[in-house]
Amino acid sequence: MSRRLPPLLIGFAVACHVWPGPTCVRQAAAQTGLQALVVEGERLWTQSPDAGNPVACATCHRDPAMTRGWAASFPKFKPLPPPHARVMTLLQANAEAVERHYRLADPLPAAIAITAFLTAQAAGVPISPGVSAGQPVFAARMQALAASVLRGKHLYAGRCGHCHKSFDLAPSATAFPRAEGGRPMSLELFLEGHRPLQPPLAWDGQATADIMAYLMSQAAGRPIGHHTYRASTEGKEGS
Amino acid sequence: MIRVIFFAGLASLMVALAVPPDATAATVIMGTVKNEAGKPLPGLALLEKGEIHNNVWDRGTLVGADGRFRIELPTGGQYGLHVYSSGYIYSPEAVKVETGKTLEVKVVLDPGPIRGNTPVIKKAGFFPWEARQGKVTFVKVDVEDPNGDLGPQVLALNAATGRAYAMNPPKRITDLKANFPNGIYQLEVDTSKGPINPRDWHFVVADHQCNTTDILSFPHDPKPLKVIKVTK
Repeated sequence: MSRRLPPLLIGFAVACHVWPGPTCVRQAAAQTGLQALVVEGERLWTQSPDAGNPVACATCHRDPAMTRGWAASFPKFKPLPPPHARVMTLLQANAEAVERHYRLADPLPAAIAITAFLTAQAAGVPISPGVSAGQPVFAARMQALAASVLRGKHLYAGRCGHCHKSFDLAPSATAFPRAEGGRPMSLELFLEGHRPLQPPLAWDGQATADIMAYLMSQAAGRPIGHHTYRASTEGKEGS
Repeated sequence: MIRVIFFAGLASLMVALAVPPDATAATVIMGTVKNEAGKPLPGLALLEKGEIHNNVWDRGTLVGADGRFRIELPTGGQYGLHVYSSGYIYSPEAVKVETGKTLEVKVVLDPGPIRGNTPVIKKAGFFPWEARQGKVTFVKVDVEDPNGDLGPQVLALNAATGRAYAMNPPKRITDLKANFPNGIYQLEVDTSKGPINPRDWHFVVADHQCNTTDILSFPHDPKPLKVIKVTK
């Protein structure tokens, strides 16, 4: 399967080739880890881990042209059976599907890998929360997303806004999932562990989806890809 | 004279704007059902009214041997279209139909990779309610899922009336994501205006993992599950 690398990564790779330094080594390791994660995600997408239950994601969603825009359309309203329908992040939606279809005791690792695969597949696609190319747009779903964005704005102001301007930070949110120290890291897990002095956020919770819905609303129109960001207070909090 | 022509024109324009040109046109969803190789597939096309997976079943129709179906709707709006064919995993799709217009969809179904986890409709039957003889008939199916993850999609279609139904489980379940029990699912059908005709009734079941039974049609004698050989 062919994948386009974001221009920033290509530029970084060229610079590192000319003058490799410690940052380049770390970046290369992260890229290797990310690539491994994407490969693992593609494997899980196309093949069920349970031989006795071989219905995999790709059994029904086999057309890359259809799935390419998915990552750019999250967070969005997922029409799960009542009362579970709600705005979800891509990872949360993947975890729900992995749990239901693959019946893994811990759906998170597989869901992160699949999220990495779908995000890589979407590289360069403009962020369009709630809207997938070629799919109808439903008013009720967009209203639910707008309500989520509003909740996320308030949550962001209380939890994050002291250090991070949302408009500056938003593009970096698309740099997840990524490999950190050889371990897969999603934005949801990152938020769960960030600002430990505040009440914790659950990676699969509505509040996390709301914050990410707000961030993605700030990044609408920008392409999915890997961006760098440093908080104005980075290094002061140690988080 | 100019004033008369102006007002006559304005009145005609207002009438034209008030009555949409397609006000009498039917609201329709139609489509084709094929496998990946392009072979037309017969089966069922059933609709949920409103958000997909809300389990509010509304209308449905048979998909012909040519893989074509057509459902006329009372009004446009949001629907959940589910398409079933024996031996294949069902396809769910949220669709938006505009009033007075026809939405055309193309559905491609994939074979169920193995049938070991597929639910089975063991039998179906039609039982007049003795206390209300002639007025109510129970339509019942006995369903068993080998891996125990049935969901709310225990479905019936009356092809004569075009009504689709979710059949009631053996015990009341409010969480539609919960695993539904094996056993007898039933419907209470008003037969006060005429007896039920079993030939009109078709049944299909899909579990939470999308494993889908073969469609059970008249004479409602279950057969071994159809296995589709994948040739690529």
